[in-house]
Amino acid sequence: MAASFASRCSRVSRSLFGGLSNNSPGLFTTSHEMTCSNSFSQLQQQRTFIQMRTVLKVADNSGAKKVMCIQALKGKKGARLGDTIVASVKEAHPNGKVKKGKVVYGVVVRAAMQRGRCDGSEVKFDDNAVVLVDKQGQPIGTRVFGPVPHELRQKKHVKILTLAGHIA
Amino acid sequence: MRLEKCWFCSSTVYPGHGIQFVRNDAKIFRFCRSKCHKNFKMKRNPRKVKWTKAYRRVHGKDMTQDSTFEFERKRNRPERYDRNLAENVLKAIPKIEKIRVTREERHHKNRMKGKKRKIQKEATRELEQGISLVKAPLALQKDPSLTLPQKIKVSVSQQQSEDNNAMEE
Repeated sequence: MAASFASRCSRVSRSLFGGLSNNSPGLFTTSHEMTCSNSFSQLQQQRTFIQMRTVLKVADNSGAKKVMCIQALKGKKGARLGDTIVASVKEAHPNGKVKKGKVVYGVVVRAAMQRGRCDGSEVKFDDNAVVLVDKQGQPIGTRVFGPVPHELRQKKHVKILTLAGHIA
Repeated sequence: MRLEKCWFCSSTVYPGHGIQFVRNDAKIFRFCRSKCHKNFKMKRNPRKVKWTKAYRRVHGKDMTQDSTFEFERKRNRPERYDRNLAENVLKAIPKIEKIRVTREERHHKNRMKGKKRKIQKEATRELEQGISLVKAPLALQKDPSLTLPQKIKVSVSQQQSEDNNAMEE
């Protein structure tokens, strides 16, 4: 009985001493972690809608490399995954179908901002990419690179889906 | 309907839950909740984060190789519907679950085998080393009741008193 009491006492005293001695490094580590998390949040940019002046990659062989969004055809805040935008070609291959400076239509096939799916889960991609289409919605290029969401089927862009290699 | 596994913590992702991230090489990362997604964004390795299944597997905390896991494996070819087969599967599920639980319990018991003795040993050591914090060594010499009871089996009472004297000195 006495022995058990003694052991309890000693344990309490130990923990107290340990807490005292380890106090300052503990404080330091917490501050370090906090700074780390801050830097991470700065590193991970908050992703938003595709709006005017957003530069997107072109994920087909139409000849354009980069386009800048100048108008989203739907939505007040901007375009999301699967929406159509009007864009101007900023960079193009020298002998492609689409020339630099032209105004084109495009379907957003990849967006870094998450988009809700029909079952309630969400999907997001690595970058913002677009497939150039004409006014009727037919793709200008003949190939589509990279993954493409299956939601394009509901948006009546079946042609893009058939051209795509990976459907996510 | 398919129940996927979370990329980070390996828990089941039910339909309509979580978020999935599609990398540019079309690899899909599914996450069960924002906690796992955030940890992924922080580029943490699930094998080094203690609460994940991956960590527990790597460090031998959980049962890894067992025939009951074969039933839960991902199959790429869908099975053709067969009423009898479906019935049998539904009957087998609770049985397999029961077997798995008992095996896991056994694994845990095996893992915790020497635990009690180790704790006792540590407590004894702490008591021996830290007894001076509770009572001064000089006072302890006078009153030996605070030291650990020694297991000495002696038949004669006189000899026991002698032993006690020896211990005090």
